[in-house]
Amino acid sequence: MTPAPIATNAASSGVKLERKTLRQLGKRSDVPGLIWLAHWVVFLLGGGVLLHLSVGTWWVVPAMIAYGAVLVVPTYALSHETSHGTAFRTRWLNDALLWISSFIYFEEPNHRRYAHTSHHTYTMHVGKDGQMPFALPMTFREWLVELTHLGFYWYEIKLFVKNALGRFSPLVLQYTPEDELPKLKWGARVYLAAYATLLAFIAAGHVWPLLYLVLPRLVGAPVMQMFTILQHAELSEDTPSILDSTRSYKGGWLSWFLYMNMNNHVEHHLYPQVPFYALPGLQKAIEDQVPEPDPGFWRTNYEVAAVVARRSLGLSTRAPSIRQAPHMITEGGFTKISEANMR
Amino acid sequence: MSTWIKACAADEIDDEDLIRWDYDGQTFALFNTPRGFFATDGLCTHEDQHLEDGIVIGQVIECPLHQGRFDIASGKALSAPVCVDLKTYPVKLEAGCVFVDIG
Repeated sequence: MTPAPIATNAASSGVKLERKTLRQLGKRSDVPGLIWLAHWVVFLLGGGVLLHLSVGTWWVVPAMIAYGAVLVVPTYALSHETSHGTAFRTRWLNDALLWISSFIYFEEPNHRRYAHTSHHTYTMHVGKDGQMPFALPMTFREWLVELTHLGFYWYEIKLFVKNALGRFSPLVLQYTPEDELPKLKWGARVYLAAYATLLAFIAAGHVWPLLYLVLPRLVGAPVMQMFTILQHAELSEDTPSILDSTRSYKGGWLSWFLYMNMNNHVEHHLYPQVPFYALPGLQKAIEDQVPEPDPGFWRTNYEVAAVVARRSLGLSTRAPSIRQAPHMITEGGFTKISEANMR
Repeated sequence: MSTWIKACAADEIDDEDLIRWDYDGQTFALFNTPRGFFATDGLCTHEDQHLEDGIVIGQVIECPLHQGRFDIASGKALSAPVCVDLKTYPVKLEAGCVFVDIG
């Protein structure tokens, strides 16, 4: 038998939860996911109407940003949650929404699942975690590439083509069982065909996919990235403890709606079997065993951005209030730890 | 050849739940489902994560690490990332106890 990898989760982090509580929190239902989905559909329709009305005026800029954020952040969150299979109790509903949301997100779903398994088994382990999108430590340039999502588009285009041709990279082969590779190949082919159809449709003069899908996807990406960059930035690599590698930050209704409660990211990595709607309950159940969540979305983003800018300027990288790994704090200068593996 | 081993009292496993059972250097998962008691290997076939913290959903066990799913009765791998079936073992109930045929 293959020796068991030491997975980064609650056990490797020294966090304990009574079996009955875990079972209660892990309970599956379709209702919370459907309520969330109904909110998303209503906001998408409302945002789409506002965008439609604003075309031809300067209002199109804020309308596009708002609609883009409402399209893209939940798309990421839904694609992530359904890749875990935890958004809904009904499996086909999970899978259908995984394929739809991953299409907008721009990642083939089978690959998304397998790459993400490596992210959970080896969270922020250099050379083993298949989802390390920025170099460590993060510089201002890295932050910009990550914020715009440009590195991701380039990585995914290469991945789509290689996987469709069956020329899998060493990283893909590392986290995908051999028997599953044909699924990645055919998934990439199906998605490439669908993207080609979409482009042909736009080229034929149909503007609506451009206006309501492609442009908002690009414009909304930085908002999405402001949520996701915070997950592991400025924390430790190569540690078995999720408490040292991962960040939670305070959030409310907006974090539920846009991000499916993934601001509780420490809790998600400790117990990935707990669905998004139970993460606040999980946070309460283990709050005495995990670090205090960082300040809210804006404050945490501001501090991360300021730290990476100061790092690039050769200044002190000590942040006022967010959690940082000790080795991320310097008084000027830094030693590169690793390159991004999603470029 | 059958080798029936007494594993636990039936009431040690809650309804729609599982427990870990270790015996003779092997580790198993014992389930109490709406269709009765079942036993499988304890480790997920994907990355050897123990199933003991997994979630039982009807007749399905979901691995706690990556949420791959197996049919509890047959051990069949149902959804990615698992793709290799789980080994199952015959189970019988006698005098309120769960017995497993470890072969």
